[in-house]
Amino acid sequence: MTILRFYQRPSSLSIAFSSRHERSFSGSSELVTLTTRRNQCWRFSPLKSSNGSPLAGASWKDDGKEMPVPKVPDIGSQLAENTVSITVVGASGDLAKKKIFPALFALYYEGYLPQHFTVFGYARSKLTDEELRHTISTTLTCRVDKRENCSDKMEQFLRRCFYHSGQYGSEVDFCELDNKLKEKEDGKLANRLFYLSIPPNIFVDVVRGASRSASSPNGWTRFIVEKPFGRDSESSSELTRCLKMYLIEEQIFRIDHYLGKELVENLSVLRFANLVFEPLWSRNYIRNVQLIFSEDFGTEGRGGYFDHYGIIRDIMQNHLLQILALFAMETPVSLDGEDIRNEKVKVLRSMRVLKLDDVVVGQYKGHTKGGKSFPAYTDDPTVPKGSLTPTFAAASLFIDNARWDGVPFLMKAGKALHRRGAEIRVQFRHVPGNLYKRKFGTDLDKATNELVIRVQPNEAIYLKINNKVPGLSMRLDSSNLNLLYSERYPREIPDAYERLLLDAIEGERRLFIRSDELDAAWAIFSPLLRELEEKKVVPELYPYGSRGPVGAHYLAAKYNVRWGDLSDSS
Amino acid sequence: MAVSFPKCPSSSLPPLQTRNRAWSSPLSAPHQVGDSSKWALLEATKRCHLSVSSATNGGSAVAPVEPSKKVQDSGTKTTPTDHSTKVENGIRPTVFSSNEFQDLKTGPDNSGRESTVSITVVGASGDLAKKKIFPALFALYYEGFLPKHFTIFGYARSKMTDAELREMVSRTLNCRIDQRENCDAKMEEFLKRCFYHSGQYDSEAHFVELDKKLKQHEGSRISNRLYYLSIPPNIFLDVVKCTSLAASSENGWTRVIVEKPFGRDAESSAALTRGLKQYLHEDQIFRIDHYLGKELVENLSVLRFSNLVFEPLWSRQYIRNVQIIFSEDFGTEGRGGYFDSYGIIRDIMQNHLLQIVALFAMETPTSLEAEDIRNEKVKVLRSMKTLEIDDVVIGQYKSHTRGGVVYPGYTDDKTVPNDSLTPTFAAAALFINNARWDGVPFLMKAGKALHTKRAEIRVQFRHVPGNLYKKCFGTDLDRATNELVIRVQPDEAIYLKINNKIPGLGMRLDRSNLNLHYAARYSKEIPCAYERLLLDAIEGERRLFIRSDELDAAWALFTPLLKELEEKHIAPELYPYGSRGPVGAHYLAAKYNVRWGDLGAEH
Repeated sequence: MTILRFYQRPSSLSIAFSSRHERSFSGSSELVTLTTRRNQCWRFSPLKSSNGSPLAGASWKDDGKEMPVPKVPDIGSQLAENTVSITVVGASGDLAKKKIFPALFALYYEGYLPQHFTVFGYARSKLTDEELRHTISTTLTCRVDKRENCSDKMEQFLRRCFYHSGQYGSEVDFCELDNKLKEKEDGKLANRLFYLSIPPNIFVDVVRGASRSASSPNGWTRFIVEKPFGRDSESSSELTRCLKMYLIEEQIFRIDHYLGKELVENLSVLRFANLVFEPLWSRNYIRNVQLIFSEDFGTEGRGGYFDHYGIIRDIMQNHLLQILALFAMETPVSLDGEDIRNEKVKVLRSMRVLKLDDVVVGQYKGHTKGGKSFPAYTDDPTVPKGSLTPTFAAASLFIDNARWDGVPFLMKAGKALHRRGAEIRVQFRHVPGNLYKRKFGTDLDKATNELVIRVQPNEAIYLKINNKVPGLSMRLDSSNLNLLYSERYPREIPDAYERLLLDAIEGERRLFIRSDELDAAWAIFSPLLRELEEKKVVPELYPYGSRGPVGAHYLAAKYNVRWGDLSDSS
Repeated sequence: MAVSFPKCPSSSLPPLQTRNRAWSSPLSAPHQVGDSSKWALLEATKRCHLSVSSATNGGSAVAPVEPSKKVQDSGTKTTPTDHSTKVENGIRPTVFSSNEFQDLKTGPDNSGRESTVSITVVGASGDLAKKKIFPALFALYYEGFLPKHFTIFGYARSKMTDAELREMVSRTLNCRIDQRENCDAKMEEFLKRCFYHSGQYDSEAHFVELDKKLKQHEGSRISNRLYYLSIPPNIFLDVVKCTSLAASSENGWTRVIVEKPFGRDAESSAALTRGLKQYLHEDQIFRIDHYLGKELVENLSVLRFSNLVFEPLWSRQYIRNVQIIFSEDFGTEGRGGYFDSYGIIRDIMQNHLLQIVALFAMETPTSLEAEDIRNEKVKVLRSMKTLEIDDVVIGQYKSHTRGGVVYPGYTDDKTVPNDSLTPTFAAAALFINNARWDGVPFLMKAGKALHTKRAEIRVQFRHVPGNLYKKCFGTDLDRATNELVIRVQPDEAIYLKINNKIPGLGMRLDRSNLNLHYAARYSKEIPCAYERLLLDAIEGERRLFIRSDELDAAWALFTPLLKELEEKHIAPELYPYGSRGPVGAHYLAAKYNVRWGDLGAEH
């Protein structure tokens, strides 16, 4: 059996192996850099091969055809060059322009893309290749820390970018795309990645068209989809069911770009590579966990999509819940994608279904500050006047398992607040029998340790500790053990999309959401969402640019929690 | 009933702050740190309550050897010593006797007599006095920590006038960098309170003269007297005898501060203690270990006992080893005479480093009261395995030429015998055989003429069991463990080394630090250890002083080893001046599967 044949089996296994192969045998220098640089840890790990050991119900191959899978590839034979074609469906959209093309360029710039690759834009508008290149070129930037050859690199990158105009529901148009792709792929082993940067109502059309007419004949074909994944349990599982008519689980890459953030990635490292944290990671020591997301701007005239979903679906049910699952999961068997996702699903399934009593919803109203007036949510022309859609929500969640029983996990997400940021706060219990208790006043809970993981902006980790104020008296002070990323790591931190695109290309599924995870996540939120809508629960209004509705404090107080981000010394 | 400071400072007085002030107030939440003036006032008021002490003895475990006539003579009608411990530890006495209540009332309204403190520096012309003690006293005065009325006496054999002493003292005084206002004026006022008395150290008659002078300055106030013995150990007893017989306070307390060396071994130390106790109660003796006055050593207990995140980790279950490291980057530099008869083990390890170990490893005390803390420290010391010669490496620096500069060897020092075997470096592995620490090596290392100047505590944690990221660390998991570093000097800092993902695509791990750098966080100058200790002695706070039984236990650990080193004439391993010390220290560490944290590629 030749290596070529091996590559023809477009399974995730082949990717894992192929990376290793290329590292050791391929003449392609770029790929060598790619695999060694990126995969210091992952690829050398035999754990990785568990990607190839299928879990129950998962298919071996992306295309579903039966083919024998060699456990050990024939390392002596020659490798066919492979190529990856990335098709951005919805190329004229905002996300594509602002995030996807720049991320692809950054990967190219840093040498993470295979030597041969093709980028296609696909959308309904009539554009030439040149026009697409022009649009893209305005948003590409080079890393601040390595500006060399920037314009050369850009030019080379743009030369690999092409455009194909077609209808999203037309198989014929995708056939034409397939022809063009084949032309570019030039007989190489073709792997194809479709990035669906389109509204959810046409997801299935595109998947059908692309999978039937433009799947790779000899490599893998993968689809990246972005939220929203439905509006509730039913619509989500309907979407999943439809996707699975054309794709198998392993072809679907549901992106949650929060999982690609540097400090979310680091969360598992912190927990599992440091002895000092793991013993503390349970109800014995942790009093509560807070997951906080805030934006300092509103919908700003683009509330049409948002109004249909609201902050709970837009931020909480996905981003914050995913972080929570990563935070709270048991130690996985390995770092392999399936093992981590198995643990995350367990957390989600152990969670109590959210009740209306444990949620506060808010909506921002107009506010005038310093002569400047900021519009209310319903002032947005794209939002219905009587909209009850929450732009703010706080919720307390509970994980009913042995590790977390009784520990409130508070989430808070809002638009048009006084600051912008995303952080995880872990408040520890107070010291039992504290010798220094007289120093802390009456409320010992105000002087507990707190671990803060600031996801954005200004990535940082800090641990608040109690410390003696230097000097002759014995006064205590809460100070921070600090790790400020910008000080320690002057290199620019890559955008989440870069990581996720690269992972999708490499078949690393750790940061993507599996169907059962998605189901479990919706199960927690759907009853609440339905109740909010059925009962037409009116959100508490809060001024644009404020700290959000005070209701959030009462919710926290109910569980004896104090929001860490709104205290004086945050 | 005597009271340490019966007079309540009014608002016009310099605020008399106790170190424990934050305790006494419900307003002590950390966020109130900034408002210091209000604080001082408030605390000054509080202080009135607190300065009244419980009549019970602070719990001194050792009763006076001989509650003899002499003691009574010197102590006069009131018990001179017993009164202040409890309260100054911040523990409000729960039960007041009626007498105490009386004091509580009279104190604040000033109907009692004013009290004063007289501090006599015996050995005033010495180096320590000039460099440390007088400047520390001035700093206390400058910051308003001394009582309103105080007197400072220098006592030594040399003939000097008050003016000459003042001239001498003034040269070493300086003001806090962060509050330079009125520096000259303050200095002048301070110097006006400084006096000199010349006398022999063993002459009672001379001390009687001192007593007269002191009385003159003290006037009718309640007089409290503190003697700082900044003199060679062979005359400790003479001076103590004279002061206690001839110059004790008649109506207040009399306390004596002594500095190391406290003997050369268990026997001589016990003899010294016996001697001191002929004239003093345990509570009158303040054995200073200035390392205990260092800011970060003080902070050690705060870190442990007021942070939930550390206490669970503080045992053999999570800690792999503890390293206590002291290094100086200079040698004896022509002043090795004293050092040569003691050596680095007695000079640094048996006292400073061992005290830090005891504080580090002790069980949670019942309270922060001095006796409770010292009880726990003694327990640690008594649980420790007596040091054996196999667990020690000694070294001595030899000369070294670098960049054209010749650095002398230890035996090149003219005050050192040419064939001296005195160690200038030592490393030792100690063990505490109790439930918490069984099997955890406590490594100590102390040396002169090394490449850096540093004192630090390093806590190396165990590796993560079943580490998921094992492949990212190479073969030796112990090299990638967490480490807590408490840097005592220079550049005070606390940092916790954690494993962290290097930002970027890919999964590379890196050890980075969670940092608290004192200079960055606290702009205030950190007070010198002597200031704290002098203030504590004045306030009767004994937490940072070494009790007799602690001292005995400490000597018991080291004496057999010291004897063996001397009897067997063990030759120290030579190491070049300015180097990292003898390599033997690495082998000692390796024996217990430890790697010195300060000599790695990264600190």
